[in-house]
Amino acid sequence: MAYSDKVIDHYNNPRNVGQLDKASTEVGTGLVGAPECGDVMRLQIRVNPETQVIEEAKFKTFGCGSAIASSSLATEWIKGKTVSDALEIKNTDIVKELSLPPVKIHCSVLAEDAIRAAIGDWKKKNGVSEPAAVAAAQSAH
Amino acid sequence: MLKVIDSAVPVACWACSVAHNDSTLFCPHCSKIQPPPESDYFQVLGLQRGFQVDLDALEREFHRLSRKVHPDRFARADENERQWSLADTALLNDAYRTLKDPLFRTEYLLKLEGAEIGEEHAGKDRKGQSDPSRVPADLLEEVFELNMQLEEMRMARSTGEIDSVLENGLVLAKKKFESLLAAVDLDLRTEWKAWDTGDAAARKTSEKSMVALLDRRRYLRNLVRDVTETLGA
Repeated sequence: MAYSDKVIDHYNNPRNVGQLDKASTEVGTGLVGAPECGDVMRLQIRVNPETQVIEEAKFKTFGCGSAIASSSLATEWIKGKTVSDALEIKNTDIVKELSLPPVKIHCSVLAEDAIRAAIGDWKKKNGVSEPAAVAAAQSAH
Repeated sequence: MLKVIDSAVPVACWACSVAHNDSTLFCPHCSKIQPPPESDYFQVLGLQRGFQVDLDALEREFHRLSRKVHPDRFARADENERQWSLADTALLNDAYRTLKDPLFRTEYLLKLEGAEIGEEHAGKDRKGQSDPSRVPADLLEEVFELNMQLEEMRMARSTGEIDSVLENGLVLAKKKFESLLAAVDLDLRTEWKAWDTGDAAARKTSEKSMVALLDRRRYLRNLVRDVTETLGA
């Protein structure tokens, strides 16, 4: 199967690889995995407490090219967005941008999950409660 | 993709027109070879559908049928029969390989029973929503850490460094994940038994457990493979 040029670009030059201080209250960490392929993805955000804008986003992904490209693109997209705008990003947007084939759609789902998990963690730390988010987080345990 | 066909639906033999159920490679009436049946692998090999399989019976039936459908025996038969002997042989080989291997068999039967497993189904359940309950959460943190260590190890290797602390840690991790893998296999066996002897409700529960165990197993298998590769490099 051939990867699209955009996937290859993100794979060769991944944006925003790295780590943020997990202990900081401004930082939210999302760790998600895809049991189907054994991929694991960590996505972190640093949110400005005044503006709720995501000022920094970092990721580290162990997985295939599509998983790396999906998380790289996700960090690019959420940077500069407010938390609520970042939650609007759908995995289908990632699929479209990267032209992912059907067997790789789960990589984009993983990236969307990672964004939600990171924002969820940040909200939990900062006492922002949203009924839907809380319910989703609870059902995950 | 798998087609699950009701084997009770009879098909007429092309040669003698007598109806037979569509799981047989040879007409029970006139013994003529039949086109590849649409039935499942268990029916093709005359086995009861179940996760625990009598491997001796599987072996015997496979060899018996293989000899019967062997293309050499149809060298002078008409074109259709020649083609069918090839197709039947291919089907038989697929069926045998799938049912003989415990993991292939488990995945195959779960799919027959309608469970969604494998990469193509990932994250597509519940209308495209990913199902968080399927991620082995207890493993994630460990998997991530181990991957970090593996990367460090590869980097150290590439610069000719030998980090014995790191290496020992990986050897220990490998042992640990191997024993977790063995535990998963043991659990799978327990579920096989539960399914084979259980009623419909017990089977559904069992199928769910098996899908989760297979997910966990895939994770662990990849980890063991990666650690082994890195240590052996």
